[in-house]
Amino acid sequence: MNTEYSQAVPATRRTSREQCLSRGAAVRGWQRLVLGVLCLFVLPGCGQQQPFPSRPITLICPWSAGGGTDRVSRQMAMQLERRFGVPVNVINATGGSGVTGFTRGARSRPDGYTLMMMTVELSMLHWRELTEITHRDFAALSLLNRDAAALFVREDAEYVSLADLETAIREAPEPLKASGTAQGGIWHAAVAGWLDSRGLPADAVTWVSLNGSGPSLQELMAGGLDIVCCAVAEADALLASKRVRCLGVMAGQRLPTAADIPTFREQGADWEMAGWRGLGVPAGVPEDRLQILTDAVEAEATSDEFREFLSLAGFDHSFQPATDFGQTLEAQDRLFERVMTSDALGGVAADAAGGMVFPTVIGSLLLLAAAVAVSTRGAAVSNEAALTMSREGVLNAAAVVLSVAAFIASVDLVGFLVAATLVLLVLLLRFGTHPLKAGLIALTAAGAVQLLFAGVLRVPLPRGLWFEG
Amino acid sequence: MAEILTAAATTLADPLVWGVVVAAALYGVAIGSMPGLTATMGVALFVPVTFWLPPVPALAGIATMVACAIFAGDIPTTLLRIPGTPASAAYAAEAHELARQGQAGRALGMALVASITGGLFGAVVLMLLGSQLAGIASWFSVAEYFWLYTLGLSCAVLVAPGRVSLSLVSLLLGLLCSTVGLSAVHAEPRFTLGIPELLGGVGFIPAMVGLFGMSEVLRNALALRRRAGIAADAASGQADVGSVVNTAPPVVSVSLQQLFSRPVAWLRSAVIGVLVGVLPGAGADIASWVASAASPRGGQSDDTKMHRIADACTANSSSLAAAWIPALVFGIPGDSVTAMVIGVLAMKNLDPGPDVFQKQAALVYGLYLTFMLANLVLLPIGLIAIRAAGFVMQTPQRILLPLIVLLCVVGSFAINGSLFDVGLMLMFGLVGVACDRLSIPVGPMVLGIILGGPLEERFVQTLSGGRGSLLAFVERPVAAGLAAVVGIAWLVAIARLLRRGHTAKTPDEPGSGQEATTEANAAN
Repeated sequence: MNTEYSQAVPATRRTSREQCLSRGAAVRGWQRLVLGVLCLFVLPGCGQQQPFPSRPITLICPWSAGGGTDRVSRQMAMQLERRFGVPVNVINATGGSGVTGFTRGARSRPDGYTLMMMTVELSMLHWRELTEITHRDFAALSLLNRDAAALFVREDAEYVSLADLETAIREAPEPLKASGTAQGGIWHAAVAGWLDSRGLPADAVTWVSLNGSGPSLQELMAGGLDIVCCAVAEADALLASKRVRCLGVMAGQRLPTAADIPTFREQGADWEMAGWRGLGVPAGVPEDRLQILTDAVEAEATSDEFREFLSLAGFDHSFQPATDFGQTLEAQDRLFERVMTSDALGGVAADAAGGMVFPTVIGSLLLLAAAVAVSTRGAAVSNEAALTMSREGVLNAAAVVLSVAAFIASVDLVGFLVAATLVLLVLLLRFGTHPLKAGLIALTAAGAVQLLFAGVLRVPLPRGLWFEG
Repeated sequence: MAEILTAAATTLADPLVWGVVVAAALYGVAIGSMPGLTATMGVALFVPVTFWLPPVPALAGIATMVACAIFAGDIPTTLLRIPGTPASAAYAAEAHELARQGQAGRALGMALVASITGGLFGAVVLMLLGSQLAGIASWFSVAEYFWLYTLGLSCAVLVAPGRVSLSLVSLLLGLLCSTVGLSAVHAEPRFTLGIPELLGGVGFIPAMVGLFGMSEVLRNALALRRRAGIAADAASGQADVGSVVNTAPPVVSVSLQQLFSRPVAWLRSAVIGVLVGVLPGAGADIASWVASAASPRGGQSDDTKMHRIADACTANSSSLAAAWIPALVFGIPGDSVTAMVIGVLAMKNLDPGPDVFQKQAALVYGLYLTFMLANLVLLPIGLIAIRAAGFVMQTPQRILLPLIVLLCVVGSFAINGSLFDVGLMLMFGLVGVACDRLSIPVGPMVLGIILGGPLEERFVQTLSGGRGSLLAFVERPVAAGLAAVVGIAWLVAIARLLRRGHTAKTPDEPGSGQEATTEANAAN
C-alpha cells in the first residue's frame, strides 16, 4: 500500500509543479523523512514474541455514552486496564438497537484485542431478522449483571396489584397504553410475553414506542401512558418520592435492593424476564489468549470493587463464569425465539403501521418546497457566475477528496500516523508548501493529533495491521 | 436559608473543588474546541474519575466542563466555520463571516461574555426557582414535544440567510437523511441499501463536520491560486493578527457594554435558554436556534451578526444549568450529560427526588455555587483559549487547509471510531459545496438531521397514543398553544415575503451576502 502512495505522490506533483526549483533534492528529502517514520514504527513491532496483551485493548459498547451499559463498560475497562497494564478503551458503536455495535464486534479480528459488551438485544435482534449476528459469533467471557423487568403505574391509579391490572386490561373499553422502550425492545418483549402467558390477546395493550425508560416515566407522569415497564433501578427516584407504584417484578425471587416489591410468581403469574449484560470476544480467539481474558474478567467481575460499583449504581450483580454464561446465552436464544415470534409481539408490531409515513410526508413536502424554490428562482443564479472554476482549483479540490478517500482505504493497514502524515504531505505539496517544510509540518501535526486523541483524550485511533502482532 | 448558604459556601473553600474546576475547565475547552468531540463524550470520559472524588467536586467538574465545552465550541466555529459542538451551528455562518473580515476577536469576545452572563443567569434561576420550574416538565407529553421540535426547526428555517424556500429545502433534506437506518419507533430498516453501518443512521457529527468544515475546505481549495496565493495570505494573515491578539481585557468590557446595550434582548435570550433547558430532551442546540430566531432580522450588517451571536450564546449557556432541574427533582435525565449526573449521584449514595432541596440542601446549594464558579473560571480560561487560537489566523491558507482536512477526518472518526463516518463526512462535504453553489444554507440541514429522529418519534407516538386521530396533536392546552406559536411564526414569515414580493422586485435581495463572501473568497 505504501509503494502505491509514494508512486502516486510524485505523479500529482508533476502535473502541478512545473516550476519547482530543486526537485530531485526535495523528493529525496521528503521521501527520506517518510521512510524514517516508517522505520521508527516498524522496528519495535519486529522481533520477539510479546506476552499477551501488549498493546491497547478496545471494548465495544453498543449503547451510547452515559447509559447503564456504558457505565458498566467503563468500570470494567478501568479495572481491566489496571490488571493488564495496557489501555482499555471504550468505543460507543451505537445505533440500530445494538445492531451496529454487535456487527462491529463480530467482524473485528479475533486476536483478543477487541472485547464486546453483549446485551440482551443480541438474543433478540436476529429473530426480528434485523441482523445475521447471533451469540454464536462470540465467545462468552462472563455474565456481569441482570436487571429484572418490573411494571409501574401512577401512584393515583386504581390498580394496586398485578391481578387488578390484569382485570383492568381485560375490561378496559379502549386498550391501556404502555411503554418503557422502543417497539420490539426488551421491555416490550417482557410485557408482550406476560400478556401471552396470561392468554390475553395481542392488542390488549397499545405499545407506545418511546426511546427509553426516562422518557417513558416522564410520559407516565404527564398522563400519556398507563403502564411503564423497566428495571426497578431506573424508577428509583420516582418510587422513593411516591409518584409511581410498582406492581411486581418479573424475577425468580424478590430483589435484595427492593425487598418490598412482590414477584410476578408470588402473584400467580408464571413469568420472568430480565435484561442482562456480559462480556465476550469475537469467536475464534486463540485458546491461550481466551484463557488469559477469561481469568482476568472473572477475577474483576467478582472483585469487591465491581460489586460495590454495581450496588451503588443500582444494578443487580449476577455473575456467571464463561461456561455458565455460554449456556445462558443458548437458553436466552430459545426463550426469545418463542417470545419474538409469538402473536403478542408480532401482532402489535404489525399493528403500529407506517414506518414509511413520516418519510413520505417529508418527501412530499420536499418536492413542494423544491418546486416553489425553482419557480421563484431569480437573481440567485448569479452566485454561480461568481464561482467560475479554474483548472487549478478543481485539481486542488480533487486532491482533497482523493487524499481523504485514500486515507479511508489505507488507514486500517498502515495505521493512523502514516496515513495522516501522507494526507497532509500530499495536500501541503499540492498547495505549494516547500517540501522540507511540508514534511516537517505533516509529521508534527499527525504526531500531535495522535498524541492528543489516543494519549490524552483516550480516543483510540487505528494502529495499522503492519504494526500489530 | 442563610445557614444553608454558609454551609454550601464552606464546601467551596475546599482547594480540591478549585483544583477540579480549573482542570475540568481546561479539559472542557480542549474537548469543545475539537470538532467531533462533544461535551457528552467529555463527561463520559470524566465519569470514572469522579469515583474517587467527593460529590461536590465531582459534580462541579462536570458542570464546569460542560460550560467550558459549549463556549469553546465557538472557537472553531468562528475561525474555521466548523461548529465545535452542535450548539454553535446556529450562528456558524455569521461568526465566520465576521472572522473573515478580521473581527474574530470581537466575535469571540462577544461569545465569551454572552456565554458567561447566560451561564450565570441560568445558575441564579436554578438556585431561586429550581423546584418550581421542575413542574413545567410534567406538562410536556409527546404532543407538546412534537410542537417544540417543530418550533425549533421552523426557527432554523426562518433565521437562515437567503430565501425561505431554499432553507426549507435544506431542512427537509436533513429530515429525510435522519430517516435512514433503523427507525426508533418501528425498528424497521429504511433506505439502508443493505449496508449494516447505515442501520445506525446518518450520524449528525460527520454530517455537521462535512457540511460546514469539509465544504469550506473544498470551497477554499477551489479558489486557491498557488502563486498569487502566497503573497495574499501573508497580507491577510497580517491583517487578522491584530484583531485576535487584541482580545485582552479591554475587549471584554467593550463586549459587555455591547451586550448590555440591549438588555431586553439579553433577558429574552436567557429566559428562552432556561425554558428550553428545563425540558428533558431539548438542550443547548435548540435553545440557540430559538433565541437566534427571536433576535430581530435587520439585514446583513455586522451589528446584526454580532447580536445574533450574543443572543444564541446567551441562550445556549443559560440552558445548561436548567437542564439539571428535571434530573435533580425527578431523577429523569434531560439529556445524556444529566443522565451521567444521575449515575454519579447514585454512586455517591445521593438519591435525586423532589425532597432533594430539603434533604441535601447543602449539597444542592453547593452545586449552584459551583455553577457560578464554573462561569467565572471560564473568563480567564476562555480569554487564554481565544489568544491561543489566534495562531490559526496567522497561518497561511495553504498550510491551514490541509490541517483542517486532518481535523475533519479525526473529528468524524472519533465519536464512533468508524471509517464509514469519515466517508460520510467526505460525502457531506461535497453536498455542502453543491448547496453553496445553489445558495442553499446548510445550518437547517444539520438541525434536521439532529432533530429528525426525535421529531418522527414524537409524531408517531402522538398518533399511536391518539389511536390515529390527528386531534391528538392539539387536544392538550399546552400543545395547542405551542401549535399556535408555530402557526403564527409561519404566517408572519409568509406575510412578510408576500409584502416584499409586492413592493419591489429587488434584484439583489436573495443571496447578496453570499455573493460578497464568494468574491472575498476568490480574492483570497
